[in-house]
Amino acid sequence: MENLWQFLTRHFHWLLFLFLEAVSVVMLFSYNDYQASTWISTSNALAGKIYEYQADVEHFFSLTKQNEELTLHNIILEKQIDMLRQKCDSLAGDTTAAQRLEMENLQAFTLIPAKVVSNSIVNADNLITINKGSKDGVKADMGVVCGNGIVGVVYLVSRNYAVIIPALNNRSRISCSIRGTNYFGYLTWTPGDPSVAFIEDVPRHAKFKKGDWIETSGYSSIFPHGISVGKIEKIFNSNDGLSYRLQVRLSTDFSCLRDVCVINDKEMAERMRLREAANDSLMMKTIKQ
Amino acid sequence: MTIDTLKRALKFLLFCLLQALVLNRIQLFNVATPLLYIYFVMTFPLGFPKWAGLLWGFAMGLVIDIFSNTPGLASSSLTLIACIQPYLLQLFLSQETDNGAKPSVRTMGLGKFFTFAITIVFLFCFILFTIEAFNFFNWQHWLGSIVGSTLLTLLFIMAFEMWEK
Repeated sequence: MENLWQFLTRHFHWLLFLFLEAVSVVMLFSYNDYQASTWISTSNALAGKIYEYQADVEHFFSLTKQNEELTLHNIILEKQIDMLRQKCDSLAGDTTAAQRLEMENLQAFTLIPAKVVSNSIVNADNLITINKGSKDGVKADMGVVCGNGIVGVVYLVSRNYAVIIPALNNRSRISCSIRGTNYFGYLTWTPGDPSVAFIEDVPRHAKFKKGDWIETSGYSSIFPHGISVGKIEKIFNSNDGLSYRLQVRLSTDFSCLRDVCVINDKEMAERMRLREAANDSLMMKTIKQ
Repeated sequence: MTIDTLKRALKFLLFCLLQALVLNRIQLFNVATPLLYIYFVMTFPLGFPKWAGLLWGFAMGLVIDIFSNTPGLASSSLTLIACIQPYLLQLFLSQETDNGAKPSVRTMGLGKFFTFAITIVFLFCFILFTIEAFNFFNWQHWLGSIVGSTLLTLLFIMAFEMWEK
């Protein structure tokens, strides 16, 4: 027994060697085994952690290159956004485009906001009263518009109130043109439907179709160019057969009018005075002749 | 004794990290990889307890296997080398006395150390690549790996020794 112990202690390292080699060989031949490979492979937490730290350090040193790549990618993406935005704008519906254009048009003038205090739509000659007058800068022959289109022309002004001849009046004559073309005619109204008016004197060679928008032409020197009036509904021949008569559905809803704006355009007043002077001088000339 | 163990543990850690993070990436001509961790086993001092040497060798091999994803390969070859290293050292260091004479250029002289190193490294690479291949189908690659790795490892060891001098 003692001899055995002596033998063992003297050659202990050989036994240890055999044991360790056996362990290694077992590992070697069983590395296909799932448990063994996951235990001793790189997915071992320790190895993974150390490799993670190394990867962080390497990643830090490559940051400048990554920055350049990201900037380039940003520029490419911004170009794409620009293209998409342009495409979106071109495909956008008609209503938003019309409102935007109208606001742009109106911003060039001074607008006097007013509220309608009296209105009528059933008479033959309807009149609208607004709560702004001469003390607010309203003068006769100024144009009045609302968010959806034209309303009328200022007729009489007192200190605090003004009376407007709307489009729904026998006597209103507002010069309108077909949007997109320069062909123009006069807006008239016959007693009946308060949402329908007629454009007279549209030349027969004018090109238009049903559904086209009618807007103010800018020739009347009361309204600036481009304010929407309505949409073409039907096309008739005029009474004498020499021009068209367009039935227009008005874009302004006169039955529920509340907020309007009076257009204060000083240039238009000058133009109007010049035209009146020209008319007068022509009349004088004919008389003289 | 514990200070020595601590210092050895530190060297152990250093060699493991160096091999795993740096040297494992180097592969010249698709055959040669520097296996600097053999240096750790090579420099067990004379009279180092054999069981301790075996354990250190096995542990080093195990860690290298973990990082190289080759279970059992390095541990088996390194344990074998750790076993025969004392006997080889006695062969080369025949005149010296006991007590912790570490094999290096300083203690053995350049020529003897070089022979000692080349023997151990060649033996280790031979065993390692034979076990790795386990067949003779691609004997050119096997031979190339042995020779290439031996030379490259030796280059690193000699450079390290010269730097330490």
